[in-house]
Amino acid sequence: MIAEGAIAAGCRFFAGYPITPASGIYKTMIDELSIRGDVAISSPDEITALAYVVGASQRGFKAMTATSGPGFSLMVETLQYAVMTETPLVIALVQRLGPSTGGATQGGQGDVLFVGHSIGGGYTIPVFCPSTPTEAYELTIHSFNVSEKFRTPVVLLTDKEVGMTSENVDYEALPTCQVASRILYSSNNGGTFQPYAFEALEDVPAFAPVGGKVKVTVTGSAHDKSGSLQKNSSETIDVLRHLQQKIQYHAQEIVTLATDVQAGSNVVILSYGITARTAKEAIKRLRGRGFKVSFVNLKTLYPIPEDQILEFTKEAHRVVIAEENIMGLYRQEIEKLFPGKEVIGVNAVGRMITPGEIEQAILTYQS
Amino acid sequence: MDTGTVDSRRANRTYLKAGSRFPFCKGCGHHHVTHAINDALGSLQLNPNNVNITSDIGCVGLVDALFDTVHTFHTTHGRSTAFATGIELADSILGDSKLKNIVVIGDGGAMIGLLHLVNAAQLNVDVTVILYNNFLFGMTGGQNSSFSPMEFVTATTPRGNIIPPIDIIKILEGANAGFLARKAATDKDLSDTIARAIEYPGFALVEVLELCTEYALRGNSIRGNKLAEIYPGRVLEMGTILNNKERKDFGDAYKEKFPPNSVKPMKEEGIIPKYINAIENQIGLVIAGTAGERVQYSAYLLVQAAVLSGANATQKNDNPVTQGTGFSLSEIVISKNEINYTGIDHPDIIVVVSEDGMKELITQDVFGRTTERTLIISDSSLNLPLCHGSICRLPLRERLSAAAAAFGGIAAAIKLKGIFPIDALKEIVKSQGKAKDLLSVFEVIEGLI
Repeated sequence: MIAEGAIAAGCRFFAGYPITPASGIYKTMIDELSIRGDVAISSPDEITALAYVVGASQRGFKAMTATSGPGFSLMVETLQYAVMTETPLVIALVQRLGPSTGGATQGGQGDVLFVGHSIGGGYTIPVFCPSTPTEAYELTIHSFNVSEKFRTPVVLLTDKEVGMTSENVDYEALPTCQVASRILYSSNNGGTFQPYAFEALEDVPAFAPVGGKVKVTVTGSAHDKSGSLQKNSSETIDVLRHLQQKIQYHAQEIVTLATDVQAGSNVVILSYGITARTAKEAIKRLRGRGFKVSFVNLKTLYPIPEDQILEFTKEAHRVVIAEENIMGLYRQEIEKLFPGKEVIGVNAVGRMITPGEIEQAILTYQS
Repeated sequence: MDTGTVDSRRANRTYLKAGSRFPFCKGCGHHHVTHAINDALGSLQLNPNNVNITSDIGCVGLVDALFDTVHTFHTTHGRSTAFATGIELADSILGDSKLKNIVVIGDGGAMIGLLHLVNAAQLNVDVTVILYNNFLFGMTGGQNSSFSPMEFVTATTPRGNIIPPIDIIKILEGANAGFLARKAATDKDLSDTIARAIEYPGFALVEVLELCTEYALRGNSIRGNKLAEIYPGRVLEMGTILNNKERKDFGDAYKEKFPPNSVKPMKEEGIIPKYINAIENQIGLVIAGTAGERVQYSAYLLVQAAVLSGANATQKNDNPVTQGTGFSLSEIVISKNEINYTGIDHPDIIVVVSEDGMKELITQDVFGRTTERTLIISDSSLNLPLCHGSICRLPLRERLSAAAAAFGGIAAAIKLKGIFPIDALKEIVKSQGKAKDLLSVFEVIEGLI
């Protein structure tokens, strides 16, 4: 469904390197793009895959790659380059058990903080996290839209259990999604083209492709609005601020969540990816037994949807955060939002969390 | 030239910034090479909008900024060729295929990015690499590189280098490069060679030898006019070494294989529910057998039949990483409602048809998670461990083939549990071209149960 979403979003370039559990996306994109005459190409490693994608995007085409944790580790240098050069692109990261080679066929949600903090300087790249095939479809399109609108790399963070489980999907029920594309520079507006132009820090520069009619300067070095290499002019400092501001300022447009609020509940479960699906089952069972529980499916992990999380948890006395990693990675990220509330982590490693474990966490603390 | 300013008389057309001062040291070969690139562009009369110069890191990373009107792309260390390859793939296949991509890279970058050079040569993308080889890292203080000659004295080889240098031309010959040349920075015809490389419809590399005035001249006796002798005991082949007109440009080859085509949005052939299922609670089934015996395929047929019966189903497969040997296992969840949890804590049905499969089920403690409600369908050859539930032993391997035993177990499970009509499974088998032989399984199972 990620491949289907990508094609629906207008992706015309895919570079891939095989890695379990992401190889299915690679194979589908090779099949689907090549019959369209679009580019689907095997690269000799993950570094090359992402560099191809950056090149294709700067030439003006929507582009993506797919990998797992070990491949993503190799891509980080080029991902940082994409942030600095404001290159729209999407990386589908299908998590497996880590660290290192870890377990190729075992699931995990252990790359959350690594992805969310992969950019030097602390810059935010949007990270979305689907839990079902339908969400994978919809969030892939959303990932492309966000990458295009805000000229930023986006990570679609999924996991082995979502990526490698086959199931029936009702195509008729798939959401119809709007498709967005980057704003192109038009010479009619006068003046000379600046590849990194903005007025307010949060503005997104208009794009012109390498190979087009206006000269484009792309650089991963600190630069001014024209792309000239500069160390510490005030304009260069502004560009550095702008890179974060364009994401932070537009957070409301970027963030998407799914919520299931039950009136009168004082417990909220927060989860994402495969564990969000398990949480839904736990909630169904708990409600069946008369407990009141609310649920937030964190389809967006970054930028951290702080306002929304605060809104949905304001009545809660307890917040349960379920995720398939040992240390409660996203819990570490958001627990500062809940002073005075009881924050409970439900965690597992090397296997899926069961609905029973989430139920237990709520029942144990139910006063 | 030695003053480092652009000499507009050198070409009738310049792509360099007028009057800009080169940032290179006095006497550095980078002046010559950069001018030669400009002259080559001029002699080819290329429209600057159709030229992109991708630069690497190091002193050579300053080259792109000297050009005024062409597109420029300043990248990360060693990766320049990979970025340029991406641009070229998109341009030649999705774009108007007018762009000429030129990469400027040093000897340090060439070694980090050796993979990308080999890859671009192998693909034969229309990318021209100009390798500024000054045998060391100049910008960071004159450290030795993988291209440093034997006995070369650098900041990090104070007693002389003892590692034999890389011969990039030979490496790229091995990667099927179409155009390869080796020149000295001071060669009068350097710009001609670069022009031929840019013209070449595919990957081209020109290695240009030069000495770093800041670091190479101090401890070494070699001088710029003897560069062909820089590798002791070996006289380097100079000039255009390879110009293969037979190789096909990658973009052309790709477009020939995959011509542009408008294909309707992807949609798999759907299954419209036809039968009625009798599922009350979510059912978890685990099937295990041996690789190559159609275990996961049989599970897939079960899933299709469940959907044909109006149920939802999920399937997860598991096997050793080598895939073609050892156990093969599938976990299937079937429900009339939306399936939230795709795991199976306590299996409702276990189908086990071989020793490999049974061992894996033991490893994954599947038998330990059985309950009174679990139905275990086992090949009669197996000695099952202690477990809960009811056991149905069938001579599946004996009466069916090994490759049909797994499917036989599934047919038996449907028959015994009655979760949906067996006709649904028959209909799915009939619709599958490669499963026709499985139709005979139904009769055998009828006879056994």
